[in-house]
Parts: sequence; C-alpha cells; structure tokens
Amino acid sequence: MGGFLTFISSIRWQDIVDVLINSYILLRVYILFQGTNAFRVLVGITSLWLAQELAASLGLILTSWAIRGITAAAAIIIIVVFRNEIRSVLQVRNIKAFLWGFPSRVQHTPVDIIADSVFQMANKRIGALLVFPGNQDLGEVIHGGIPWNGQVSNEMLMSIFWHNGPVHDGAAIVKGEQIVEVGAILPLTRRHDLPSQYGTRHRAAVGLAEEADALVVVVSEERGKVSVAKDRNLVRVADSRALSQLIKKHLKMPEISPASQRKREMLKLVGAGFVSFLIISGIWLAFTRGQDTIIALNVPIEYVHRPASYDILDTSVDEARLQLFGSSALMRSLSPEQVAVRVDLSKATKGRNIFAITQDDVILPPGIALNRIKPSTIEVTLDTPTTRKIPVQVDWTGRLPENVGLVDVSVTPASVDVTGGSATLAKVETVYTCPVRLDKLPPSGTTSAEIVLSPPSLKLSASSTGLVTIHYRLVKSPIPRNR
Amino acid sequence: MKLIAYLLSTFLFIICAFHLAPAQAGQEKPAKAAPVEHLHLKQAVMCQHVENLNPVNPGVVFSVSSGQVCCYTSFDPVPRHTVIYDRWYHRDELSTQTRLRLYPKKWSTYSVIQLRETDKGPWRVEIIDQSGHVFDVLRFSITD
Repeated sequence: MGGFLTFISSIRWQDIVDVLINSYILLRVYILFQGTNAFRVLVGITSLWLAQELAASLGLILTSWAIRGITAAAAIIIIVVFRNEIRSVLQVRNIKAFLWGFPSRVQHTPVDIIADSVFQMANKRIGALLVFPGNQDLGEVIHGGIPWNGQVSNEMLMSIFWHNGPVHDGAAIVKGEQIVEVGAILPLTRRHDLPSQYGTRHRAAVGLAEEADALVVVVSEERGKVSVAKDRNLVRVADSRALSQLIKKHLKMPEISPASQRKREMLKLVGAGFVSFLIISGIWLAFTRGQDTIIALNVPIEYVHRPASYDILDTSVDEARLQLFGSSALMRSLSPEQVAVRVDLSKATKGRNIFAITQDDVILPPGIALNRIKPSTIEVTLDTPTTRKIPVQVDWTGRLPENVGLVDVSVTPASVDVTGGSATLAKVETVYTCPVRLDKLPPSGTTSAEIVLSPPSLKLSASSTGLVTIHYRLVKSPIPRNR
Repeated sequence: MKLIAYLLSTFLFIICAFHLAPAQAGQEKPAKAAPVEHLHLKQAVMCQHVENLNPVNPGVVFSVSSGQVCCYTSFDPVPRHTVIYDRWYHRDELSTQTRLRLYPKKWSTYSVIQLRETDKGPWRVEIIDQSGHVFDVLRFSITD
C-alpha cells in the first residue's frame, strides 16, 4: 500500500498530460483509420513488433532478427500498397475534422429504394450497373467517371440508365445517400469461365469485384435479370428483398434503429478511448518507471547569469561526469544534448568562487534521475575585463638562406589594444603573430601576418583588424644596430 | 706668570684665527657644482657572438644550430660602479637573468645563452637597472 501511494505521489502533472495527449493521438489514429485495410495491416505490424520483443526477451536471436526485418519491410509495404487509402483518410476537408471530428459510421443509403428501382429497371429491360464501394479507394481502378452528386431516388436511377441516355453505358457509384459519379468505366475481368450470355456489363462488374472490395449490382438489358458481383463471385438475385439484404450486408447496415446505432458507435468510441489510455499508460510505465539502468555521461558545464562586469578567467573543470538512472528504453534513447549542467554565476564575486553542483543545476529529460555527480564542487575565477596596449612581436620560423641576415625589423602597428581579464592581461607582455616563414619572405621587404592571442579568452579591440604589416631588410652581411 | 698666561692665550688665539680663516672664506665664495651624469645605454644589439668587445653577426633571427646568442650592450657614460640585469624571456616566460657589472667611465658587456632545440620561438631581452628601469627591450627569434 505504501509503495502504491509513493508511486501515485511521484506522478507529475506533466506525466498525466503526456499520457492523455498520446492516448488521444492513438484514439484519433483508430478513428481515422478504422475499417481500412491499412489499419488492419497496422495492427498486424504492431503484433509483429510485440512478437519481436517477446522473441528478443526469450533469447530467440534468429527469430527476433527475422521478425524485425519483416516488420521493417511491412512498414514500407503499408505505405506503398495502401498509399491511396492513407491519402483518402488524411485528405480531410478541414483541420477540425482531422483533430476533433468523429465520422458517423451510420449508413443512410436508401437501400430499399435502390433495390426496388433495380428490379423496376430489370422488368423494363433497362441495363444498369451500380457500384457500392467498400473500404478500399476506387480512384485507381475506376476511370472516366462524371461527378454527379445527386440524391438517390427511383426517378434519378431510371433517368441515368434510360436507353440512349449519355451516361447509361457506364456505372453509377453510390456512396451514402448520393450517386457521386455516373458513366464510370470499370475494369473488365479476364476470366474465361463466365457463362457466354454475360456481356460487357457483367464482365465489368466481376472485374471491379475482383480488384476491389466493392459490391456491384448489374441489370441485364437483354434478359432483365439482376446479378450481384462481390469478390470473385457473381450471383443471381431473385427479388428486391434479397438484393436489399445483400447491399445492407455489404454496407454493414445493422437491423437496428439509427439512435441505437449511434449509441453503439459512441460506446465503441469510449471503449476505444479506454483501450488507447491503457495502451499508452502501459507504454508510459515501461518507459518511465523502470529504473533498472545506470549510465555515466560526461556533460559540458554551462556557466549562466555571469555578472556583466566580470569575465570568466578560469574554471577548475569544463565538464561534469553524471551518473544517471532510469528505464533502459529511456536510457537507450538518451542523447548528450538532452542533458545539461548549468551553474548560476549571478552571486559570484571577483576572484575565486566555489560552487557546489546540486540536483537543481542538472537538467535532465523527464523520467531520468541523477544518481551521482563528479566533481561535486567547481571553482570559477572571475575577473574584471580591461584593455591594455601590448607590443606585437613577429614569430619567425623556418630557416634563412645561407649568408643572409635579417635586420631592421619593424611591425606596424607596433602595439595593439588587447581586452581581457585584468589578471590574465597582467601576465601578457607580448602578443605574437602567426608563424612567418623565413624561407618564403618576399624580397620587397614587406609582408603581413595575423595576430594570434593566447590565451584565447583575450580579444583584440574593435579598432584592430588583427593584421600587422612587417617591414624588414635582408642583408648579405648583417649590419649592427646602433643607437 | 701672568705674562706667560697672556702670551699663551694670545698664541692660541692666533692659531685658531689662522685655521678658521679659510673656512669662512669658502662660505663667502662657494665652489661651482659639477654636472650630474646619468648612466646611458649607447648600443644594444643581439648578436651571434662577441669578439674583442664588438658584436659579431647582429640580427633578429638566429639559427639554433649556431649554438649561442648574445645580448651585447655598451654604456657611455658610466658615472659610477653599478650593475645592470639582462632578463631573457622565451614566449613571455622568464628563462634566465644575468647580472652584469659596469665600471666608469664607459663600459661594454654582454650576456649569452646556449641554445637547445626547445629554445626555438620568439624571445625578448629586457635590459634593466637595479631600480627596475628598463633601458631597452630587444626582440629576436630562434629558428631552425
């Protein structure tokens, strides 16, 4: 009981928000993708991942590797194969529908009207082809459709498929209570086992049923018979009631009232939300609560809030060694950029300052805790910045040619203004140029070189370019320097 | 007896008057003071070696293979016996200090260091007196 209370008290508000946000994201994924093939494959991939983790925990090395490979391949396949389905899900009209919308699964298709109309057309020997899409996107299977978007009615269907009508030869696509497209061209089946009396209309119905999960109703113009193509089957339908049942079954329309249907949908969403919450809570617990791994990390120390009047002259250490603990999953994903040690210098004074590094100075990602830090104290020496004029000397290097001497060297400017900590500057009597090679000296007697400041904390004043001109004379016989 | 005392006191008075007379004359006419001479550095040069108190191969760059380098200085005048110091700095770090004696009226002297491979780089020599006054700073480099 005590452990449970300790656990509850250790939960931060950020953890609750974290779990709720991710639960909602998972619920949205379910809402947007439910019923699609991509979702089923996604569930399959998740199962594969769980199987791989299980195999790895059991020490089944080969199985674990094989499942990992299959999972990776499946992730690519799901994107390639189901790209249209994913696109149709993600192509929502507005961001609100994407983030908040709960699409109603209740079908309002007037199935009985359609069934009656189909048999009326059959009696009048009017050929017809009606497509009821399933979950699969038909965009790449059906071509040449003319947008219609008309309310389904007996008269509408009759007029579309009336003899000599401009679109009567194509298929009409029914979604919900609307005929969304007419005159659509369906793919023809390549099967040779269909009865010879079936013409192009029947072959188109079977062709689409083979390539997609749609249900296709076909009315024979010559014989006045009604058939339904679904999957690889083409079945004759005797009456409108049987046709109505087939369409309802395809559209997953339950034999209950819309209110009950809506209630059921809501319960389903609540259940899905609860399952999402459980899954994310489980993942969160696995990620954050397991404290089975300890790692050591060297982290650079950042000195912040330095008083503006002081410069950092010296520090006893530049990085701290942190011993961290947390779950192995979090530790594996931990990168050094996520960890920082920040020492507050706002209360520092001129000269030596000793600071203890505490837990407050260490910034860690959530779920990771500090076990130990070395060193526990650091020494920071602050100094007042000052500027001093310091002579410049050429740092000659290399070797002069034989019997040649170098005399009358002068540097312009002879001295430069250098800014730095007063204690540092007090030790600097000369600034040097970068090495100037003697064997490459131009005979003109003038060259230039950059100033190199040491230690690097020193800086040249803004007026200095950092470049000096060196004048010299090369002589055969050295000339004495007299005063 | 009184006469003897009178003669003795007269004699002592004459003796005292004779000895005090020049001092009083000096106070009336003081002697003219000689001009104060300061130690002056006439020449300072880095050279490879010194022969007969003259610098040989002066310059600002010396090869480490030459084995040594000298700091030659010549003072004129030297009012009185004194000492100066040659402070040798390698990259701003004091490497050595040499104490040199100077004798009136003029004096030339030098300090020398033996060169090693680790001595390569920029050097400077400060020539200073006992009070820390810097007469001159000579800059040179030891190279390959």
